[in-house]
Amino acid sequence: MDKLKENQAAYYPGCALLTIDRAYNNSSKLVSKKMGIELVELQNYNCCGIGEMKSKGAVSMYLPLRNMMLAKSQLGSKDLIMACSVCYHEFTRSITRVRENKNELVEVNSIFKEADEIEGEFTPDGEARHILEFLYNEKGVDEVKKNTVKSLKGLKVAPYYGCLYSRPSMYTFTDKKPNLDNSERPRFMHDFLEGMGAETVFYGNEVQCCGGRNVVSDEETSFTLCSQTLSKAKKAGADFLVLICPKCAGALDVNQPKIVEKFGEDSELPVVYLTQLMALAFGFSKKEAEFGDMISDPLRVLKEKGF
Amino acid sequence: MALEKQEKRLVAEKGEHIIARHLIEDDHIKEEKNLVIDGVDVSGRWNTFITTRVDSEFDRAFFQEIKETVVGSRINRCWQCGMCTASCTVTPLYRRFNPRAFIYMMQLGNLKELKKYVDVAWRCVGCYKCSQRCPKQVNPAEMMEALALLIKKYFPEELEGKLKIDEEVKKIYEDMILGHGRLDLAKLHTSSMQKMGKTKDLIGKIERDAIFKMAKDGRAFSILRLGKPHNWGKSKDAIENYLKNVKTIENEAM
Ligand code: SF4
Ligand code: SF4
Repeated sequence: MDKLKENQAAYYPGCALLTIDRAYNNSSKLVSKKMGIELVELQNYNCCGIGEMKSKGAVSMYLPLRNMMLAKSQLGSKDLIMACSVCYHEFTRSITRVRENKNELVEVNSIFKEADEIEGEFTPDGEARHILEFLYNEKGVDEVKKNTVKSLKGLKVAPYYGCLYSRPSMYTFTDKKPNLDNSERPRFMHDFLEGMGAETVFYGNEVQCCGGRNVVSDEETSFTLCSQTLSKAKKAGADFLVLICPKCAGALDVNQPKIVEKFGEDSELPVVYLTQLMALAFGFSKKEAEFGDMISDPLRVLKEKGF
Repeated sequence: MALEKQEKRLVAEKGEHIIARHLIEDDHIKEEKNLVIDGVDVSGRWNTFITTRVDSEFDRAFFQEIKETVVGSRINRCWQCGMCTASCTVTPLYRRFNPRAFIYMMQLGNLKELKKYVDVAWRCVGCYKCSQRCPKQVNPAEMMEALALLIKKYFPEELEGKLKIDEEVKKIYEDMILGHGRLDLAKLHTSSMQKMGKTKDLIGKIERDAIFKMAKDGRAFSILRLGKPHNWGKSKDAIENYLKNVKTIENEAM
């Protein structure tokens, strides 16, 4: 495969974005392109481990790092961009660990050697980047404003960062990223949304957890946490809860009918991805932004608001 | 909003205003209605005392064992400030889930005490608030993974009982991620629902609606697009080989 050109970047979709969360995948590509960066998909990538492999020693680091190796050999890129916060966490965790612990780097490399698939040794000189942080730092709010042809004026939105985009900062923030978001009070998504003319509300659960990790085995906890987030945002007057992670979508969007069944209509609130709203503001149609994919029915509210 | 049951009661419970009350045995709490110490009347709010306790059943070898794992490697740094518990997402829902106390018990190798918390110990949602705020970079979020390893190794009988479902869901993840290199979310969902005995929910209205929607918009079939990374077999073999040779509890517990 050809190496990347100047306005291209290596992109890791992960498992969710290629299937159920295609809306996030496609809208991410659309808006990046509008902002001047083409995301080139990595081929033959593997699952990052989704946090379930942490107790397996070096394997938990091999999984994400194999993709970093692939990015280098396939696309000639040290860095890799991803939109899923769980993937982002797994990548940054692994990179940080092998940078700090030489023995772990040796262990990971022993698996690479044994697998004998990709040439060379792994060196942790590249970064994994979350698409929000990437677009913010590489292009900035001005670029968002410039591309906004359809203002989101009139929409009240509740930005929801969840956990792993900003926490823990020992993994997520490195000096390669010129502007650092704040771990306790992130603001990049706020800036983007406000740049497009939307009004952000404060509701207190911006960095709360959706319980996504245990969403399969411990619904009870996840439902409780999600209903708190949804109802607080709704009470603050939000039309939408805005996400940047497919795992959060699994807990807050896909499960929403069950949450509403259990906790009542206070928890009923349309959920969308940030990039979907960006696509809308950048002039793409609702269909292109695939709002119809969300279970929580954002289309109805969009229509009501005249979009 | 605590999820643990709270029954209505008329009389205050013994020592109820003690923070992390669950850590203290009933008969270690002394509450006197009227109390005079050294001639000073300390009745009222000063009437609760905790008697000294002697713990002796430790196994310090255990500490080294945790330290050697990737997730538990920083256990020695913890100075028991309690910031992790104060920040925890799960503690307000399950009062007995107390990361600081778990780490203390792990530091001491106090298995007897740890065993009492097997029913809540696995509830960590991995939100990393604790790790963000820990002043000593202990990484308590990952320490909870180390705790899960210990439970698996030392209380295997629990895996047949309380922890069975958690364990089985983990197994589904593992088979997909290590076996195929990618995660099929639809299959993950249905197989875990079945394992949890919720097959009935799967044909309930909410699930049916979601499946219908995804079949209509084509996403239900996109799983075919997901495929499998070319050459994954090589990685799979290398991973299996690595796991066979690791010496830590990470391996023993598998
Ligand atoms: S915050 Fe850190 S140092 Fe404090 S008790 Fe928790 S793990 Fe220990
Ligand atoms: S990662 Fe686990 S232990 Fe730490 S704050 Fe979150 S739920 Fe609590």
